[in-house]
Amino acid sequence: MKEIFFFDADCRIGSGPAIGIQPDAAKLIADMDRFGIDRTLVRHGSCDLLGAEAGNRELAGMLAKDDSGRLAGVWCILPDQCPELPQGDEFFAAMKRGKIRALTLMPDDHLFVPCRLVIGRIMDAAAERKIPVLFRARGNDWNNAYSFVREFPRNRIVIYELWGKWGRDRQLRPLLENYENVFFSTGGYMVPEGLFDLAELYGAQRLLYGSGYPTYNQGSGMLQLKHCGLSDAQVALIAGKNLEKLLDEVQL
Amino acid sequence: MSTSIWETPGTLAAKFWNEGRADIPICDMHGHMGTHNGIYMKRSDPESMARHLRRIGVKHLVFSHHHVVFGTMRNAEVVEICRRYPELYRMYVGIIPRYPEFVREDLAEFDKWTPYAVGLKCLADYYKIPLTDPAWEYALKFADERALPVLFHTWGGSKYNGGEIILKLVQTYPRIKFFLGHSLYGEWDMAERIVKESNGNVWLELTAIPGEYRRIEKLVAAVGSDRLLYGTDLPWFDEYQAVGGVLSAEISEDDMRNILYRNADGIMGKNW
Repeated sequence: MKEIFFFDADCRIGSGPAIGIQPDAAKLIADMDRFGIDRTLVRHGSCDLLGAEAGNRELAGMLAKDDSGRLAGVWCILPDQCPELPQGDEFFAAMKRGKIRALTLMPDDHLFVPCRLVIGRIMDAAAERKIPVLFRARGNDWNNAYSFVREFPRNRIVIYELWGKWGRDRQLRPLLENYENVFFSTGGYMVPEGLFDLAELYGAQRLLYGSGYPTYNQGSGMLQLKHCGLSDAQVALIAGKNLEKLLDEVQL
Repeated sequence: MSTSIWETPGTLAAKFWNEGRADIPICDMHGHMGTHNGIYMKRSDPESMARHLRRIGVKHLVFSHHHVVFGTMRNAEVVEICRRYPELYRMYVGIIPRYPEFVREDLAEFDKWTPYAVGLKCLADYYKIPLTDPAWEYALKFADERALPVLFHTWGGSKYNGGEIILKLVQTYPRIKFFLGHSLYGEWDMAERIVKESNGNVWLELTAIPGEYRRIEKLVAAVGSDRLLYGTDLPWFDEYQAVGGVLSAEISEDDMRNILYRNADGIMGKNW
């Protein structure tokens, strides 16, 4: 029996013209069933090319139609000074209505600088409400991730990285060592037994199982985690309990 | 929620999920060993790698040592590593055409390195010498005369080991057993064409592919599972991640077995 509760921290649904795969919520649920994923945290692909407002709206629409109760959404944020999204408390109330439990940002695609001057107000509000913020590290250059984490140490930041397949320990470990609010989503991290090392060094509570769907399927990372050498209790934390706890603590 | 692949009784997936291994002798046809410039590799020494390989049930890892293909370590030293793990390790003789005297010296020893040396490894992208350049000829003729396996690093669009180059090579050397490392990643149509236009001497090797959404399914549909070989680049990628990627594909268990060991055993012989 599988027996482990899995909560995937890193999924995207909706349009994906750059990679030619366009799973919707129903397809995602079918894939979750195939691999035994209990719940999933999802972003929307339209944020990439259409922008945050369109992507957020489409995601909320998809989640409204989903009655499985297994999907939680991630909305994309934009600079405070350009009121393209609902502002202040209205934004968080809309998150609650839309089954949105986490935030992300795409500064490279949406052309802004991810610093306090630009997104300080919404990031501070997210910190107060303990809303996790997913941040995509950028391939071989993690300067953006370092700047972001230094700028917002009070926020719960989940680093994910899918650009390449090379092991990222040299970039990742300093962040986990120095910032207790930094978490790592495991999608695309394929270092042999590297999950064991990260958990031993920084604690299993800092790692979140993430698949990187639909760049990756959800199964390969599950087997990798199951047999990485950690105890059943540690595996269970990474598989789903850590993310479940983070989202349970969100105050919307 | 319906029954997942990991919970389906009697399947390879359930076996690996529950026990961490299955009763199959996995053949990992693409490995390395030793340190590398761009990655912290904690488990790149022979013993750490062996522990990782044995846990999941790898029968043989065929590897080229990083310090041979990126440095000046000699292939003879790698033979000695293999001798310490005679049941587990096999090696590709690393070929660096910029060191032509090394190539000739090492290939002169090739027969003495049986059963450890099973073929050659060519990383043209890294030396920036196209595989069609005369610098490679000595080694490739050697392999062709003996119908040896050669693991080529291949990548879509590369002017050193991309599709057009590999196609020419396959037409030039009819007896080499071509293992196309990374399956010409990204140039999928060309990979299919090369397999189909070959005389049955080309296999697509999967390193870096397992886990990618539906990629293995597409390759099986394009060329058949009997043309695919399992590989991980270990110590780059985790065996459980890669095996998990094969098990996660929507293909038959026969296809999975072909990929994980049957094809390799068919090429190399049962007791290699």
